[in-house]
Amino acid sequence: MAVAVAKQRKVRALGSERVREALVGYAFIALPMAFFLLFFIFPIGYALYISRYDWGIFKGESVGWDNYRTLFHDSVFWHHAVRNTLVYTAVVVPLQMAIGLSLAVVVNQSIRFRTFFRAAFYFPSLAASAAIATIAIYILASDGLLNTILGHLGYHHDNAWFTQQSTALPSIMGLNAWTTSGTMMLFYLASLQAIPTDVYEAAAIDGAGPWRTFWKVTFPLLKPGHFFVAVVSIIGALQMFDQSFIIGGASGGPNYSTLTVVLYLYNQAIGNIHFGYAAAVGLVLFAFIFTVTLIQRLLFGKAEVA
Amino acid sequence: MASEELPPVPPVAAAQEFAATGEAAAGTAPSVIPGRERADRIRTLIAYTVMFTIAALFAVPFLWSISTSLRPTAETVAGFSLLPHDWTTIGYHDMFHKYNFTRYTINSAIIAGAVTVSNVFLASLGGYAFARLRFPGREVLFMLVLGTLMIPDQLRLVPVYQMLVNILPKYTHTDLINQKGVILIQLVSATSLFLMRQYFLTIPRDLEEAAKLDGAGYFKTYRRVMLPLAGPALAAVAILMFQGTWNGLFWPAVLLQDRSQYTIPIALTFFRNIYQTQWPILMAASVLAIVPILVLFVAFQRYFVAGVASAGVKG
Repeated sequence: MAVAVAKQRKVRALGSERVREALVGYAFIALPMAFFLLFFIFPIGYALYISRYDWGIFKGESVGWDNYRTLFHDSVFWHHAVRNTLVYTAVVVPLQMAIGLSLAVVVNQSIRFRTFFRAAFYFPSLAASAAIATIAIYILASDGLLNTILGHLGYHHDNAWFTQQSTALPSIMGLNAWTTSGTMMLFYLASLQAIPTDVYEAAAIDGAGPWRTFWKVTFPLLKPGHFFVAVVSIIGALQMFDQSFIIGGASGGPNYSTLTVVLYLYNQAIGNIHFGYAAAVGLVLFAFIFTVTLIQRLLFGKAEVA
Repeated sequence: MASEELPPVPPVAAAQEFAATGEAAAGTAPSVIPGRERADRIRTLIAYTVMFTIAALFAVPFLWSISTSLRPTAETVAGFSLLPHDWTTIGYHDMFHKYNFTRYTINSAIIAGAVTVSNVFLASLGGYAFARLRFPGREVLFMLVLGTLMIPDQLRLVPVYQMLVNILPKYTHTDLINQKGVILIQLVSATSLFLMRQYFLTIPRDLEEAAKLDGAGYFKTYRRVMLPLAGPALAAVAILMFQGTWNGLFWPAVLLQDRSQYTIPIALTFFRNIYQTQWPILMAASVLAIVPILVLFVAFQRYFVAGVASAGVKG
């Protein structure tokens, strides 16, 4: 009898301890969760709501899906913002991957100062985009360092690279391929080091040279790395904003040549105070990024199982 | 979200590998075969040459900006020279005294500092709960936190701006389209919370058990036992948040309207649009934006890499 009571008491104590632990758990996550709900989850629904209004600084008339209809026929959006963003992504992503992988292979060699080189290659990814872009503007100015060097090499180029319509976007592509390559290098490095050494020993025994080993052994084995770097890189490219904002100004000049989707969104909201319309742009971009991620996951996910 | 494809890289292990030097790299064939030695030596030589060349190329823009920041303005149009003829710090002097960059530096430090402190506190608190405390809905809520990484800032621009203009001031009775707003919307990030949780998961349970036997409550256990053990993760979160916020352009560009609240990146962008060719000052301001991060990076290199490893949850 006494034993049973004691047992019951213990169970009850344990039960209340469980409840206490759960309550403490909720208390600990309360602030972070409230933050995520308020500033991440709620805004998705709110964006959808705003996108159905003619919304300036304050809420205006309800316009149904008109903002989306207007967006569908918006030639600046499609012919400049979307086009530039897609061209930028199509060029920069492979470039980032190629440079990142090359750097990773180079710093994966067993030689001295490896850590120093890794750090040196990684640092441009960490420096403020505003500072790097400003330095790039200076170097690519009409009388800048690049044109000076090109002049010494016998090629005279007198224009500023960022202010010419034909070279502005390609110059930003080059700049960003450089600054982000360090991050891609680190991703690839993690992937490279996950490859077991015995496959290289096997390749060496088979008499495969370094070049052949890389293409026939390393490159295919890096598939998970390729997937991961591609996803990160594409998502980043689709959201490009900083360099266009700094270099091309809010309008994405010259003549829209550096206008990206995100810069367009920023302009519609902060510049033109068309919040309803900007919300529609944001949701379309989000849907697009989400779809790209899903497609990639399906494609690469399957290939990996096979 | 969680990318199963990436080999699991525990942040700290990756950091140690990054910091370690000299160990044999994976992926180099053993060179026991005689006659291979010469070929290997040539390969090493090529590798060194390639690396030094790339490193030099990478360094050129930074060195060039420092070199320019130490010239008088007239010298920037007087033809090419590697080093300044007249060394001067007038660019730095003007930047701070004439163009208000002292103010902008303080603004950057305030925002980056506040966001860092708040992230360290909230992420460690939440991370501890998600790693150790049992409560119904824990896994679902954690997936929700990770899910926020899928939501791009650009989608949030409009609704968050509207919340800061129209909704929240009703309750907070203060204007939020300013520095306060920039801090408020970055109080904690899923990346920091994830990093903290993963680290707490690796700490052995015995220490907590001992604390519990001593009668310590949950908060005391977190404060006295877990936090002191989580030093590396706290450092990683602090450094990543500081770097990200210090460099941040998007939210300050959206929310800072009063020039006296500009951060260095915004001031630099704004200044560049007005004083197109004041290169020494522009380069001095660029150096000012870069140097604090460079110092942090040199001092705490391995923590930076922890952030990259944690990016495995993104995408």
